[in-house]
Amino acid sequence: MKVNEYYRASSLEDAYQKLQVSPKNAIVAGGLWMKKMGQSYDSLIDLSKLGLDKISETKDEVVVGSMVAQRDFEDSKIVSFLFAGAPAFAVREVMGVNFRNLATIGGSIMGRYPFSDVITGLLPYDVTLEFYPAQKMSLEEYLNYKGKLNAILVAVHIKKGEGKGFFKKVKTTALDFPIVNIAVAKVNNEYRVVVGARPMVAARSYKAMEYLNNGGKDFAKAAELAVEELSFMDNKDASKEYRVDLAKVYVRRGLEEVSK
Amino acid sequence: MLVKFYLNDTLVSYDVRPDEYLAETLRSHGIKSVKVGCNESTCGSCTLLLEGKPVMSCSVLTASIENKHVTTVEGIQEEAAKIAHHFAEEGADQCGFCNVGYALVVYSLKKTIKNPTDEQILDYIVGNLCRCSGLQSQLNAIKAYLKEE
Repeated sequence: MKVNEYYRASSLEDAYQKLQVSPKNAIVAGGLWMKKMGQSYDSLIDLSKLGLDKISETKDEVVVGSMVAQRDFEDSKIVSFLFAGAPAFAVREVMGVNFRNLATIGGSIMGRYPFSDVITGLLPYDVTLEFYPAQKMSLEEYLNYKGKLNAILVAVHIKKGEGKGFFKKVKTTALDFPIVNIAVAKVNNEYRVVVGARPMVAARSYKAMEYLNNGGKDFAKAAELAVEELSFMDNKDASKEYRVDLAKVYVRRGLEEVSK
Repeated sequence: MLVKFYLNDTLVSYDVRPDEYLAETLRSHGIKSVKVGCNESTCGSCTLLLEGKPVMSCSVLTASIENKHVTTVEGIQEEAAKIAHHFAEEGADQCGFCNVGYALVVYSLKKTIKNPTDEQILDYIVGNLCRCSGLQSQLNAIKAYLKEE
């Protein structure tokens, strides 16, 4: 990675203005994937002085600053109460502690990485992203947004609710990318089914959710609907067929778990 | 660019490139205890403590740590000696390349989690790879160290 300037922003407006100066300027969060990508930047813009590393809650939601480290997210008492700890568990599956102390929740989301456990782990829930300049969109809308959003992620709002979540990352060794990852939840009596790392970025299965939320009780059928609806592919880690088989098993098991 | 930070509680000021990583900065200033293995945020050999938390220094931009506290194994010599003793007792080290990273992460574990379970220990050290031995001997050594008052 080549960088000409490291810029410590004094405010969100300062960071935003700096971002507009060159298409080769970028916000740096944990910076881990940036290093792997090895690109060149005119300026890296550091948000660490802007107080975006806090987790707070209101009656209705948990608000996670975009610069919150993954490790702080998984260790947060506030987060641990969300959906029986399932979102925190998903983040705990990312690499080791010494990695998660650097990687941020905001960086993991903004990258829309197909291998992301953070995105899959959050997508079953009602998650809204808050950007600067003032703009909000759901996590799902952001994942489907075409092109690069010219805005800075400020916070991730997770709506509270009754229910339970399930997360499964299938991997060869502890430090591998997922072969596939699955998140299932029952939120306020509504089922949510998400499959990620197919190896495309996580997506909800609306066919499976429609079946379940209209009285369908056969979890194996719901899992079949999920793998029919979502696309799967081969890559060096696993074949399409293997991913489909894994997804069918873990969607069913997840549904069994959250329905208890 | 000039970056000031606390290295083992001593304020230092280094002239670094904007894209320079902390492991490189420290090694170029004689702190050779910081080992660089994979150099891509995976093996954990370069682990040190930043604000008391274990991080991979191969992936921390030095420019990002202005005024922060960095602890290398030189900053925890007494505890590192105890950890090394238990690693030797359990045959948990062979080539020794990963030991410094292990020492720092185990020291942090002791400070962070009281009476950890085996699962918590393994979760804490999973980001530190040892290519010579298995994890069992490390686990035994760590548990013996954690039992020390």
